[in-house]
Amino acid sequence: MKKAKGSKAKTLFEQKEETDIMTGETPDIQNQVTEEMPAELASILDLEVGETGNRIEFEEGEKVPVPEKLSFKPLVHKDPWQQAFVDENTILIKRTVRSGQSIQFDGNVVVLGDVNPGSEIVASGNIIVMGALRGVVHAGATGNKEATVSAFKLQPTQLRIANHITRAPDGDYLSPDHPETARIKDGIVVIEVYQLGQDRQTKIC
Amino acid sequence: MGEVIVITSGKGGVGKTTATANIGTALAALGHKVVMVDTDIGLRNLDVVLGLENRIVYDIVDVTHGNCRLKQALIKDKRFEGLHLLPAAQTKDKTAVNPEQMRELCSELAKQFDYVIIDCPAGIEQGFKNAIAGAEKAIVVTTPEVSAVRDADRIIGLLESAELRDPKLIVNRIRPLMVKKGDMMSMDDIIDILAVNVLGIVPEDEMIVVTTNKGEPAVLDNYSRAGQAYRNMARRITGEEIPLMDLEADTGFMNKLKKLIGFK
Repeated sequence: MKKAKGSKAKTLFEQKEETDIMTGETPDIQNQVTEEMPAELASILDLEVGETGNRIEFEEGEKVPVPEKLSFKPLVHKDPWQQAFVDENTILIKRTVRSGQSIQFDGNVVVLGDVNPGSEIVASGNIIVMGALRGVVHAGATGNKEATVSAFKLQPTQLRIANHITRAPDGDYLSPDHPETARIKDGIVVIEVYQLGQDRQTKIC
Repeated sequence: MGEVIVITSGKGGVGKTTATANIGTALAALGHKVVMVDTDIGLRNLDVVLGLENRIVYDIVDVTHGNCRLKQALIKDKRFEGLHLLPAAQTKDKTAVNPEQMRELCSELAKQFDYVIIDCPAGIEQGFKNAIAGAEKAIVVTTPEVSAVRDADRIIGLLESAELRDPKLIVNRIRPLMVKKGDMMSMDDIIDILAVNVLGIVPEDEMIVVTTNKGEPAVLDNYSRAGQAYRNMARRITGEEIPLMDLEADTGFMNKLKKLIGFK
């Protein structure tokens, strides 16, 4: 993953290994996020505190906004081999999710289409968008920090995983042409090049 | 206690949201503590115009339903310290909030801010009733078109029956040349029909499109004529006496020449 030198890359979502890119522009991001916060949410909305900051303070017991009720009925197979494939609930959405529409689901969400700005997808599992992701997404909404968000074009208004909230930095930034995945790595949300079936081995066997 | 001002129009697309964003920003630039409240639930735009869309976590519906504290939902502007936004919800509808809750919310905000500016949705239904519920003053936006003026007249009537006396008028998107030729309603024609005091007049300005799309209010652009008009309005709201903009000034030959060679 190479970035043009000096470009305002998606610094918030940067891979941790590439710390050299992050120098200069936003030096404090990692400290801020990895810092143990007393509340449920490590907000990185207030990166540039005082200037653009919108500090969201959470008191003891308060949680990241999560839909009150997510109905979930797991599929049960008799054959354990079959069961390995259906261990999580997944829905397929075969249309563009438009502004004002909200999809809330206990499980994984796959969208065959775009997710437009002003729309919202909240899932307790992973979110995969086979198109451009430009709206607000919340993966692992019930607290699953392993949850990921993948999209052909990952340009969310806001991206949340479990109790982390991130957004793209202000101003122009590079938007690559390849699919990307966002996940929590060492306490911060990072964006990586989407790798085909990287979890295949660990999931099933 | 701060002032609660609602910006409304009846007709859509005349510039309520643009006026809210610009007047709010101009007031904050003058050093006042300002909060802008978007009441257009389901069709929110104010956050986009201000370039604050990606900071929204909680919204007005969350506040009125007690899902979060008011302070958590307020978004601080990236340019001015004293400027805040309370965004509308996008995935709910107008019935999610009732006038009683709005009154409560406005009085709470008025305690913390000098100016509470409410961006009203188009129409005269529930959204409009919510928006005006907590307001003490009203600003009506119109354009020099018969339909917009007709709607403004209807709105002024509704405001008066809701005890919001003496609303102020903003006439937006005036084209001085067309007025001169008699192709567009003049200020006199509009005031003749509406019979209200004028807060400001805004000339047609292509820069508004550019600034709105960029998420930066026009008042920040010193060369924008519309920006100048909104800055004047903000100062009139604070009680200063400023004469209305001379729209003719831009049409003379000498001025065009000056503009051409970059003096203006």
